[in-house]
Amino acid sequence: MRLSFIRPISCCSVSSPATSVKLQKPLFLRPPTFKTTISDLKKWHLWAKSLTCSVGSTFLELDNGPDSELLLRELNWLVEDAIQTPKSFLQQPHKNYNDNSSVSIRASLEQLYMLWKQRVEERRPFQYVVGCEHWRDLVLSVQEGVLIPRPETELIVDLVNDAIKENEELREGLWADLGTGSGALAIGIARILGSSGRVVATDLSPVAAAVASYNVQRYDLEEKVHVKQGSWFEPLRDNEGEFVGLVSNPPYIPSKDIGGLQAEVGRHEPRLALDGGASGMNDLIHLCDGAFSMLKPGGFFAFETNGDEQSKFLVHYIETKKQGNFSKVKMVSDFAGIQRFITGFRGR
Amino acid sequence: MVRSVFKSFLNLPKTITNISILTPSFYRPNSISIPRSYSTTRIYLSVGKKIGSLFSVPVGEQFQEFGSLFSAKYSTNGDGSVDTGIGGREYLLMSDEELMKQCELSTFKASGPGGQHRNKRESAVRLKHSPTGIIAQAVEDRSQHMNRASALSRLRALLALKVRNNIDLDTYTPPQELLQILPAKSTIRGSNCGPQIGPNNPKFALGMQALLDLLFAVEGSVSDAAKKLGLSTGALSRLLLSDDNLRMAVNEFRVSKGIKPLK
Repeated sequence: MRLSFIRPISCCSVSSPATSVKLQKPLFLRPPTFKTTISDLKKWHLWAKSLTCSVGSTFLELDNGPDSELLLRELNWLVEDAIQTPKSFLQQPHKNYNDNSSVSIRASLEQLYMLWKQRVEERRPFQYVVGCEHWRDLVLSVQEGVLIPRPETELIVDLVNDAIKENEELREGLWADLGTGSGALAIGIARILGSSGRVVATDLSPVAAAVASYNVQRYDLEEKVHVKQGSWFEPLRDNEGEFVGLVSNPPYIPSKDIGGLQAEVGRHEPRLALDGGASGMNDLIHLCDGAFSMLKPGGFFAFETNGDEQSKFLVHYIETKKQGNFSKVKMVSDFAGIQRFITGFRGR
Repeated sequence: MVRSVFKSFLNLPKTITNISILTPSFYRPNSISIPRSYSTTRIYLSVGKKIGSLFSVPVGEQFQEFGSLFSAKYSTNGDGSVDTGIGGREYLLMSDEELMKQCELSTFKASGPGGQHRNKRESAVRLKHSPTGIIAQAVEDRSQHMNRASALSRLRALLALKVRNNIDLDTYTPPQELLQILPAKSTIRGSNCGPQIGPNNPKFALGMQALLDLLFAVEGSVSDAAKKLGLSTGALSRLLLSDDNLRMAVNEFRVSKGIKPLK
């Protein structure tokens, strides 16, 4: 099925986010309309590899960025996305230097030179270079202005799944993904809900709202996921008290740490999606404060945090300041063993 | 319920040098090995915070690593068999979810705070199956979720290859899952078996396990096993050689019994 590039969202009550934003189509979805020869492509690939190898571990030492080995893996992924038949190209690395047969690619050779230069020299995130990120079993479109979904966040969908299994009411109810970014959580959750389950995804950024809408369309979920532009709970006022679940990966990095981030993150990703104020918890506290009135009794919440310290603080905050409002409030660790999430239920 | 017994068959004395070189990598918190294809395995060793690809080894040696881990965890009897009270077949019959519950899941111990701080696309997943100590890992996919699925299907293959069910040759009749992977010309394969299941089918692991159980019971003799399966020796050899994992496991066992490997 061919997808229309931008389609207005019919149910969007706050604003139509897609109108003024220029969407970038992921490389792998573009038609392979450019032609080059195997030997020219080989030349590009060799050039890209040698540029990559020259990085060594300098980025790693500088700001904990990628080393050349990680970059080489990304280069393979770029080849996968850019070439119509990547396997035959990658699997015969030394055979075809003089091969003048034609190969179809999804961007011009000049663009490929430019893209990899941007990746290495400007530290442009790989996901912006190819315009997508693989997240769970999804491939989500991303572009500048939208936070690239992180592997840690994949776990929130599993946490939601666990909660749904315990309580079927949650499967058919209304969910919200606050600060949806690319729409990752909203889409991941919509795909595990029952036929009457719905997700409202909000984001303050018009770019994020537009990209999220595009991703929702790509997965044929327009009926299930409604994207609304606006700050946190504001676009949800009409449904106050009706939600069976809230999830969010809000900005949680303390402002003072933004300057020290690896260049891919600090220089290229939207500060709006990263900077959580002095303590990093401005938005998380706002979410904890608002969750009670948004949720139905028995409703579930899962929020991602900066890790151990913030999670401990927030669990304590909910247990003392919101005494009796919530039950089973706990921290959940990510795959690396960091207490990355807080979850709980609104009391009945 | 009959208690099943499985054997560790991989602690071969001749490979001890390799084991002592390779095993420590598994005990380092950040180490990862990736069966990238069936023919080679790349071992990633960590140096401080950095993960570097240092060398490749043939997949046979990968089995030895797993074998050494495996026998390190259990004290084995004289014949190398161990008793866990549950057979390999039960593991393979479990749903993904049930099997995951038996596994410790870990990923790269990311340096620093992770989450929004980090953009490194390291989505490696490592599953350790607690009852057997078998470890399966995946790093080649672009998302954590997909790596988890790859690691789990790899774990199923490893369980099929390494965990043996005891069979009684006198009363032996091949189980349905074994019949399903046999070629149609097998004389004991009824028409109710459906088309032959190949290595890409998730059900293949279960049939492969049953086939290895039989081959171990007949001490590695392809002709003896072929008789039990209503096949010619040549036809069974072709089946054994059709999947790299299966071929490696059979040949490793045959070599340990002093029989020449299949080619």
